[in-house]
Amino acid sequence: MNKKLSIFAFTILFTLHASAVSVIYKYQNLAENISHPWGIAVIDENNILFTELTGALRIIEDGVLSPEIISGVPDILFAGQAGLSDVVLDPNFSTNRKLYLSFSSPDKYEKTNTLEVISAKLDSKKLIEIKTIFKAAPSRDTAAHYGARMAFLKDGTLLITSGDGFNYREQAQYLDNHFGKIIRINTDGSIPGDNPFINDDDALSEIWSYGHRNPQGIVLIDGVVYENEHGPMGGDEINIVQPAKNYGWPAITYGKDYSGATISPFTKKEGLEQPIKYWVPSIAPSGMAFYNGSMFPEWKNSLLISALVPGDVRRIQIEDTLSKEEILFSDLGRVRDIEVSPDGSLILATDGPNGKLIRVIRGN
Amino acid sequence: MIKSSFYLFFCILIATSLVILQETMSNLVWLISVNMPVTFAMFIATYFDNLFMMNGGGEVPLVALVAIGMSFAFLVAKILLIWVKISKSVAYGLAGSAAILAIVLLMPLAFYNLDILAGGRSITGKTILSLYGFVSGYFFGASLSSKVES
Repeated sequence: MNKKLSIFAFTILFTLHASAVSVIYKYQNLAENISHPWGIAVIDENNILFTELTGALRIIEDGVLSPEIISGVPDILFAGQAGLSDVVLDPNFSTNRKLYLSFSSPDKYEKTNTLEVISAKLDSKKLIEIKTIFKAAPSRDTAAHYGARMAFLKDGTLLITSGDGFNYREQAQYLDNHFGKIIRINTDGSIPGDNPFINDDDALSEIWSYGHRNPQGIVLIDGVVYENEHGPMGGDEINIVQPAKNYGWPAITYGKDYSGATISPFTKKEGLEQPIKYWVPSIAPSGMAFYNGSMFPEWKNSLLISALVPGDVRRIQIEDTLSKEEILFSDLGRVRDIEVSPDGSLILATDGPNGKLIRVIRGN
Repeated sequence: MIKSSFYLFFCILIATSLVILQETMSNLVWLISVNMPVTFAMFIATYFDNLFMMNGGGEVPLVALVAIGMSFAFLVAKILLIWVKISKSVAYGLAGSAAILAIVLLMPLAFYNLDILAGGRSITGKTILSLYGFVSGYFFGASLSSKVES
């Protein structure tokens, strides 16, 4: 009996110890003093494209930041949250060199701007064959809440997150505009025939889901689309996004307005989707990656969410009910984006005018 | 002086309460328009929650903004009243209206055109808010007039 108890106690203690052992990692600076880094696209372990919100598309070649800025990026509006946002590689980038850029496109005559997405071919340090494949409508007079993250579905169609433009939050509930939506298009800009609202005359055919606020993280895991979005004061969310579904903003929310006002007293309603996780107070989730790499086996099957407030990365194991989260890299300040390199290391972008691109590798 | 300060304080409270009423109404009316089951009890609870949160839970206490705006506008009105012969109630009413309108119009300039007071985004919202500013200022002017008469 005593022996059994001892084995049981040892097992418990060992398990507790093992779970308490934290992963040792270290940082390597890939680039410093970069201006508001926003989006990262990993070509391979040593070649990484990234955007600066101020309008530059840049590349790290063989592990070294190229001083030459990639030319051909269209005119962008840089103000508030507006600027050159995300960059993603075509699934066949290794053969076709195609990439996609999202940015805030100015209309100088109307003094408005909107979210635009282009496709282009990367020819050495130049973008060629540039084509606009999406432009959100209507345009806005604010410089906030663009969403602007992109991800590919398995069928090769492109998902684009489109924010609510801040002043236009109610429009997220209506299907005749692109505010607060997730958009699905083909890479040539055409609309897939199986989009959920394709036969609805009152809806824009590009819309895939709606009722979003400012979605800035989107990843595909085993065919399931995970998305995170900024709430107002509190109410940041992770959602599993499905076509035609309404995610509720601003009819239901766990957050309050910045003025302190109640945007909605409702947090739930039938027909409106619930987040699988939400944060009160806000963490300002800015990007998201799925970790299944080999460098940190402890983190396999995790969502990694970069966060601006107070500034860290949240690791959430998918198998869990998503109630548990681990806070990582809280010594870096505001983290704008996160990607996983093929070798299993992590690439982080820290926010601000003197931002950094940092590789996280296993320590000794 | 003490009475004037009390009237000003009371006027600021009225203006703040009315601005919060507009904020509450605009949000709840829209929710009703999308078939959310808003009840009267919910309206009352939300209004009182907003009274507390907009003065202590937001980025800037609304009452402080209103106090700054109203005090400045009333000072200007007091100076103008030396030369312009209109009733005090109307003069302070117009000043109150201008103060609230200035808060609604100037705040977005500091935040990339973002309307922090959601109830003031539309023309209707701005009109209602400036009317509330007028009512508050009118109360202040009328109180001062009655003080002089008594």
